[in-house]
Amino acid sequence: MTGIPYTPEEGALVLAGASVLLIVVLLISVWKKMGIGREFVVGLLMGGAQLFGIAVLLTFLFRFDDDVRIWFPPVIVLIGLMAVIGGRRSAKRASGMPGAVRITTPAIIAGAAVSLTVLALSRAMPLKPQFIVPLAGMAFGNSMTICSLALDRLVREFEMNRAAIETRLSLGASSKQAMEDLSRRCVRAALIPTIDRLKTLGIIFIPGAMAGLLIAGTDPLVAAEYQLIVYLMIVGGGIVTSLIVAVLSRSRFFNENEQVRDWI
Amino acid sequence: MNIYEIRNVEVALGRKKVLKGIDLDVRKGEIMALVGPSGSGKTTLLRCLNRLIDPDSGSIRFEGKDIRSIDPVELRRSAVLVPQESIMLDGTVENNILYGPRIAGASRKVDVAGCLEDAGLPPKMSGREASRLSGGEKKRVALARALALEPRVLLLDEPTVGVDPRKVDQVERTILQFSERRRLTVVWVTHDVPQAMRVSTRIANLKDGKVREVKETSEFEWEGVY
Repeated sequence: MTGIPYTPEEGALVLAGASVLLIVVLLISVWKKMGIGREFVVGLLMGGAQLFGIAVLLTFLFRFDDDVRIWFPPVIVLIGLMAVIGGRRSAKRASGMPGAVRITTPAIIAGAAVSLTVLALSRAMPLKPQFIVPLAGMAFGNSMTICSLALDRLVREFEMNRAAIETRLSLGASSKQAMEDLSRRCVRAALIPTIDRLKTLGIIFIPGAMAGLLIAGTDPLVAAEYQLIVYLMIVGGGIVTSLIVAVLSRSRFFNENEQVRDWI
Repeated sequence: MNIYEIRNVEVALGRKKVLKGIDLDVRKGEIMALVGPSGSGKTTLLRCLNRLIDPDSGSIRFEGKDIRSIDPVELRRSAVLVPQESIMLDGTVENNILYGPRIAGASRKVDVAGCLEDAGLPPKMSGREASRLSGGEKKRVALARALALEPRVLLLDEPTVGVDPRKVDQVERTILQFSERRRLTVVWVTHDVPQAMRVSTRIANLKDGKVREVKETSEFEWEGVY
């Protein structure tokens, strides 16, 4: 049982039906001059193309999932792409910060690597593309979100609290000491949505993995257990990401003489 | 003996050249007032003296050493800058006063009451929430906080701006008293020339990023400042 109540051909019709709703929304946005029409269409086309692209790739990978020599190279390339794209996208959150991508990319890679390593070691992620690709997507996606939140918050808080930070520097604090409170606040703030989601798991939020397993007909208890394992690993990776962002961003805010850099 | 020797210092902030070749000596134990109109470079020069910024060119020597060879964190503990805006750190007045010595890992016992008294505040104030103090009280806590580091130089940026005009002379007197008692060198930035004449031993007049004149206070004529 695939869990999907129609064939691929019927699915194309359902997709067309679902698109009608989007077209209505699009027309309303043009009519109301909301200014999101173009972005909406671009997002829809990009998202759709990416989804079908990955589906084609996964179809190929799943066919050879017993032959590691075939599936391993494209999976590594895919994971590399996730890291590069995630790092670049997240770096855009740090308005004006030079070299932000050199913070975001390693932070996202480290967070996702922690999640995936623990998942693999605990055997929650068998080393097959069927598991690696979607779980890597979740791990990188979550790390990217947390990275963006942490960095955005750090830059904004630094701008707002520059005088307080310089007061600390003037009292003989190192850059690390001067940013201590601010970093802690930003790490906490970046993790709030994740913690909130954790608290509402299963009530107002059924996460992707569990939803997928349920649709595919997995026993709900097994699905819930698996989701919790995955979610906890991903939360752990997110914490690693946010801590690394806080540590690495210090060198972007301060120079080697413990002075606030010009760009901020 | 000079505690600071400043030679041909130039600083640009963004595209604007703020200091255009400053030459100035600060003698050990004196109160040197830096006066001049807004934008003349007083605060920028003060920030160079504890390495919150470094000059683009020129040199500054502190106690005979090139300032660039001194660890900025160590320098800032010896030459403490009290900014114009008195920002209180989280917690009580005592937390604020202990901040500098604590992060420096000082093993000596800090005389919180003594610092407060020197800054003209009652010792019983140490338990109060710092963020809830009046503007004038915050100014004094900022001074007490600087004194807790037992610095050799105090760099004061407009220390009476925002203080109730009736209490300005009290703050001035407080600073003069503790400076004398602790044998501090003070560099005092002010736009208020009469104040500079009341408190300082020498006055440096800055205009458009340059030192126009340096004189003993008794010889200074303030008509030329603005």
